[in-house]
Amino acid sequence: MSRDKSLVVDGVRQFFGPKNSRVQALSRTDLVIEPGQFVCLAGPSGCGKTTLLRLIAGFINPSEGQITVSGSEIIGPGPDRGVVFQSPTLYPWMDVASNVELGLKFQGVSKDQRRADSERYLQMVGLTDFAHRRTYELSGGMQQRCQIARVLASDPEFILMDEPFGALDALTRERLQNELLDIWRKTGKTILFITHSVDEAVFLGSRVLVMSPRPGKIVFDEPAIFSKPGESIAAEEIRSLPAFLELRERVRSSIQHSH
Amino acid sequence: MVIPLEGLEYHPSGGLADQHGGPAAVSKSAPLWVRVRKNHWTTRLIALAAFLVVWWILTTPWAWNGDKPIMLPLYLPSIPSVWNAFIRANTIHPIAEGVDREVVGEYGYYLWQHLLATLQRIGIGLFFAIVIGLPLGLLMASVKIISVSVEPYINFLRSLPPLGYIGLLIVWFGIDNTSKIWLLFLAAFPPITIATIAGVSGIKEDQIHAAQSLGASRLQVVSSVTVPAIAPDLITGIRVALGFAWTTVVAAELNNGIPGIGGLAYLSGTELKTPLTITCIIVIGITAIVLDSIIKAMERVLTPWRGKA
Ligand SMILES: Nc1ncnc2c1ncn2[C@@H]1O[C@H](COP(=O)(O)OP(=O)(O)OP(=O)(O)O)[C@@H](O)[C@H]1O
Ligand SMILES: [Mg+2]
Repeated sequence: MSRDKSLVVDGVRQFFGPKNSRVQALSRTDLVIEPGQFVCLAGPSGCGKTTLLRLIAGFINPSEGQITVSGSEIIGPGPDRGVVFQSPTLYPWMDVASNVELGLKFQGVSKDQRRADSERYLQMVGLTDFAHRRTYELSGGMQQRCQIARVLASDPEFILMDEPFGALDALTRERLQNELLDIWRKTGKTILFITHSVDEAVFLGSRVLVMSPRPGKIVFDEPAIFSKPGESIAAEEIRSLPAFLELRERVRSSIQHSH
Repeated sequence: MVIPLEGLEYHPSGGLADQHGGPAAVSKSAPLWVRVRKNHWTTRLIALAAFLVVWWILTTPWAWNGDKPIMLPLYLPSIPSVWNAFIRANTIHPIAEGVDREVVGEYGYYLWQHLLATLQRIGIGLFFAIVIGLPLGLLMASVKIISVSVEPYINFLRSLPPLGYIGLLIVWFGIDNTSKIWLLFLAAFPPITIATIAGVSGIKEDQIHAAQSLGASRLQVVSSVTVPAIAPDLITGIRVALGFAWTTVVAAELNNGIPGIGGLAYLSGTELKTPLTITCIIVIGITAIVLDSIIKAMERVLTPWRGKA
């Protein structure tokens, strides 16, 4: 994989608010995400994780610096970067299946193909029985799963996920973790995954980042070796590896010390 | 006093202003005061009955009053005379007692024809109000220059009483239907434009972002997100607009307003046919309530997510 296809965050700083009382959300951040990486980002609440994700998604423009994909600057949202929002953002005027199909519809995919795809991803997130319900009839966790299905169905190169499994029970969470790992192993997509769970970050990521509180700064950046594209080890096996436990401990203490 | 309750179940979403829903079922054998407390329809029926009784007391000849009613018929006609006016307006009848020549309804039209003529005008006026007001609202919400320059005029127009400029419209568009439709249009479109602007500013920006991240073009964002997202506000705007148009209908039909229920109300008043005027007022009021309930029903069917997401 060539380096020029990577996502580069170059000297980015982010401020919010009016000039005289502005808040710095991100201190100077440099980051290169290589194609195919599964980057997990952890850090205390309010440290700037979502801000970084929204910058990459193109929802906000950096106050300083620039972000490029394959060498060209990001100037707005695009279908190459799918987003799972921290709070579910679905369309209540469509049913669940239509929400999932929306990306494909925008791409001009035929109706039959769309149906087939949405059925597949709804099955994956366990919402088959709710395909024709309205989104406000779903629980918070179900809405989150619907969002995940929507992004996966639209098949972007980059998947940006903001605490996607935060609202799920342990069992569903584990199942979806494995599904996501599976997709990542099969497709080699590039994923940025924000989580508050250190265990989840170390388990899923091929690379783990930790951000310090305001103004946000990446203070920890190490490869995690446990999930690799092309091979799958049983979850329990990974979680009992000494190296896994050791990395998890170091990530945890780096979050604690960053306070 | 016997209140007929059979077949009148409280409908949770029916009625005019029952936001504080009553319970679904009140036993028919419950004492009246329980039903009054729990069932809006019972309350309304009692209020209506009380109103009719007061009307009856005021308009019936009383012996102690020299066989005259408390209020003279010219000021407040009796219930039977209003009913007669209603029947007359809906039938072919002799032009006067003992005269052979027969006429249709009032001023050559049945009452329902008067009503229909008015509804048509309102329908056309409202149609243009939506066709112009919605895109104008979208434009104003998205192009700053347009909003800054147009908004004062909309507020200006909104503050004018229709009677103030109906004369001008007649000079411009003639005394026939066109000027009336213009008046109804001018009354109806500002609320629609304003509701559209409010709707657009209420869209959550992440809903736009989500669509863009899914690859939506500008046009697709408008059709898949903007328009459905503002639908609840737009329907509210249409509801307000219809109310405005309906209250200006008499002004619109002041001149050459026959057929037309507003014109009929005005003309009968000037000719001192008070029973007919009151008939018109009742018809105008009831029609307004029916139209409003229709829009409220449409609201429930078309935007079931209102307030839920
Ligand atoms: N649109 C905005 N306007 C003003 N301040 C903002 C805005 N977005 C974020 N901030 C501020 O930037 C900082 C970082 O916010 P951010 O949402 O990135 O945190 P986070 O790491 O995602 O937190 P959490 O884990 O709670 O989601 C916070 O102090 C927040 O108040
Ligand atoms: Mg966040």
